[in-house]
Amino acid sequence: MTRLVINRIGEALISLLLMSVVVFFLARLTGDPVAVLLGDGATEADRIALVAELGLDRTLPEQYLIFLGNALQGDLGNSVTGHQGPALMMVLERLPYSLGLALAALVIAMGLGAPLGVAAAVHRGGPIDTLARAAALLGQSIPPFWLGLVLIYVFAVELRWLPTSGYGGIANVILPAFTMALFSLAAVVRLIRSSMIEQLTSEYVKLARAKGLPERDVVWGHAFRNGVFPVITFMGAFFATMITGAVVIETVFSWPGVGRLALDSIMRRDFPVMQAVVLVITTLYILANLIVDLLYAWLDPRIREGAR
Amino acid sequence: MHSATAWTLARAAALCALAIGVLVPLSACTARHDADTLVIAMPTFAEDTFLPWTGGGQRKAYLDAIYDYLAIIDPETGEAGPGLAESWEMSDDGKTWTFYLRRGVQFQKGYGEVTSADVAFSIREIMAPAARAGPSSPLRRLIAGVETPAPHTVVVHLNQPDPELAIGYFANAQQVGIVSERYVTEAGRRKANAVPVGSGPFELEFHRPDSEIRLSVRADRENIWREPPQYERLIFHVVPEVSTRVAMLKTGEADIAPISFDDIGDLERTGLSIVSIPQSWSPVVRLGGLIQAGDRYEPANPWADVRVRQAMNLAIDKQAIIDRIFHGEGRIAASDTPVEAWAGLEPYAYDPVRARELIAEAGYPNGFPITLKTFATTPGAELPTVAQAVALYWQAAGIDVRIERIDWTSLRSAWTSGTARDYVWTHRGFPFTSAQNGLEAGFDARSVFASFSTPVLQDMLNDHAEELDKQARTEHLTAIGEYLRDQASNIFIAHINEPYGVSPRVGEWVFTSSNALNFETIRRPAPHGSDAP
Repeated sequence: MTRLVINRIGEALISLLLMSVVVFFLARLTGDPVAVLLGDGATEADRIALVAELGLDRTLPEQYLIFLGNALQGDLGNSVTGHQGPALMMVLERLPYSLGLALAALVIAMGLGAPLGVAAAVHRGGPIDTLARAAALLGQSIPPFWLGLVLIYVFAVELRWLPTSGYGGIANVILPAFTMALFSLAAVVRLIRSSMIEQLTSEYVKLARAKGLPERDVVWGHAFRNGVFPVITFMGAFFATMITGAVVIETVFSWPGVGRLALDSIMRRDFPVMQAVVLVITTLYILANLIVDLLYAWLDPRIREGAR
Repeated sequence: MHSATAWTLARAAALCALAIGVLVPLSACTARHDADTLVIAMPTFAEDTFLPWTGGGQRKAYLDAIYDYLAIIDPETGEAGPGLAESWEMSDDGKTWTFYLRRGVQFQKGYGEVTSADVAFSIREIMAPAARAGPSSPLRRLIAGVETPAPHTVVVHLNQPDPELAIGYFANAQQVGIVSERYVTEAGRRKANAVPVGSGPFELEFHRPDSEIRLSVRADRENIWREPPQYERLIFHVVPEVSTRVAMLKTGEADIAPISFDDIGDLERTGLSIVSIPQSWSPVVRLGGLIQAGDRYEPANPWADVRVRQAMNLAIDKQAIIDRIFHGEGRIAASDTPVEAWAGLEPYAYDPVRARELIAEAGYPNGFPITLKTFATTPGAELPTVAQAVALYWQAAGIDVRIERIDWTSLRSAWTSGTARDYVWTHRGFPFTSAQNGLEAGFDARSVFASFSTPVLQDMLNDHAEELDKQARTEHLTAIGEYLRDQASNIFIAHINEPYGVSPRVGEWVFTSSNALNFETIRRPAPHGSDAP
């Protein structure tokens, strides 16, 4: 187990290094922040001075080495906009909002998706199965932007049950979390359904039934425990995606998360913030995958044994 | 039914019951703000910073409640009136301005009286090389030095005459808000940029980056020298999506929000009011390669010929664009910024026949290809639609238009680096309270944002800048406006009135311009039966 963790950490560091190269050079392909920062009536001399102030007059390899050297000391630079605060802090300030929303979405996706997927598998071909498959298809087809606006209209404007948007109490989380959850909920239903169908026809389930175990124990205690593996893999990756890929949902619901920070930093060509966002998210991806690996090892003794 | 299934369904039913049980009580949580609070939903906080020199003018929506300016423009007359400065005088050569400060004005949180040292500090900071404010660059060129001969006297020396300094850079439609030198020095720039201290009527109560700014009337209410606010609290929310802003207006979660032109009818039907900010921005098509200075001129472009540019103007039915895209909220323009002296300028009429003739006369009987780049921004979500309309009109005149979507930052980068030479692009013009400031930004060849410049125009601008007589300046301005129109320097389309949805809780709202919305001065509605305005 320890070796597994050490191996994964080594891979994570290499991934981070490669990602730093990619984000650094890709960001600079799209232009620079100088044009955004120049005010009305700025002259060519102002432009040249700003280029020098931001260090953009150095060669790209030089700029990268400076960035890497600082990054190794935990300094990802300061925002080049008027904020001028540490880029890493700006990302970390936003992260709790994104994590909270993603976690709520995850709970909804798993809480609703798992029972529905299991029910669909148990009643394969029946009305519940048809309903679950239709719901899954719908969930994966509806654009979150549209769904978000419809939910706002129904639950905020018409019913007045929930606030339209913004960060606040539990009431503010429900609509964005559900909008975010719907796509992954649909995926969870499909994955669990197909996985459970496979498990429910396997020999060990037949044996469990032959031994006279109650059906509930057979389904949830035996089949589900094995059937949940693909979902864990999916949700691990999807959790990280929910943090960064939530730009649309954060925009519709005015949620102050990392997704909007990422978008704003791209629009402003705020290189340090862009780089900090990508590196923090990469770290989260890696952590999510590490947790998935450890969960696998915990759930499946064969992996634990193999790693030993 | 299997027991497992029954259990699963029972659990699902329990979840649904729980959800409803939670949702219904939560509806109480959506209770709107209290009666003393005004909520404003904004598309963006821009840089989301609080020192005047650390970002652009979009922040003025919330900064104007915190900071004071030397002069305040009278919304009725458009003239500069007393602000922090009670009076001022300009030297005969127009190069020295002396401002006499109002006595006894106190900074918030006990940071003492506003003095000339604070004013000088604020001016120097906005001119500093690291400043990121809109007017930082021109102020660096304009101001030679600032002196403080007495605690309430500020003398500003200029490198060139600027008879519009008080109504221009130093008035409340610009960004030279006065900060406390003592506070910024003691707290440090980073903290002062996050927790502002000004001398205005409101102080910061709470800030969640990119989400919420809550301002409340300053604790030492007796030190408010402006008209006392009627609302105790102003809450600004960032709501980037316009449909969400409209929903907030409908639910009462917001009292004021900019909306899209398409939402006007919908909101009016629900009983909400629309307030249009007159001439708040101008859709315009800029033509690349028209700066006759350095390497920014491209004579090979068909539109380097003035006849082609005139044809490109004549080919467009601008009133149809105003009616269809902007729902009638605007008027045809002969400039990209509203200037009083240009109010009588006759814009190009819609004359597609003459447009085709001019294109043929210029040597393009079969038309020519052109790339029209466009982007959506705030305000300016309609620019891509405007581009499509313009393209259709030009195509009817024989011009083969290829529309290219681009992000504003990339285009701005190409423009300011001088590489946007062989294509044209949609853009937006904004009002300047000082016409001279607007001309310097948009038509002085030294500006990286210039879109058109010729030696003749440059001479006209220089003459105007050096002229001190008011009547003569107006004549100069009129001549410049006519020249820009006759040269078809841009495809000027319209001056647009930006619509805001407002709730019944908004009474009298007197804004100066789109650069000074004066949210902090909004009054409560007059009681029923009252004759008050």
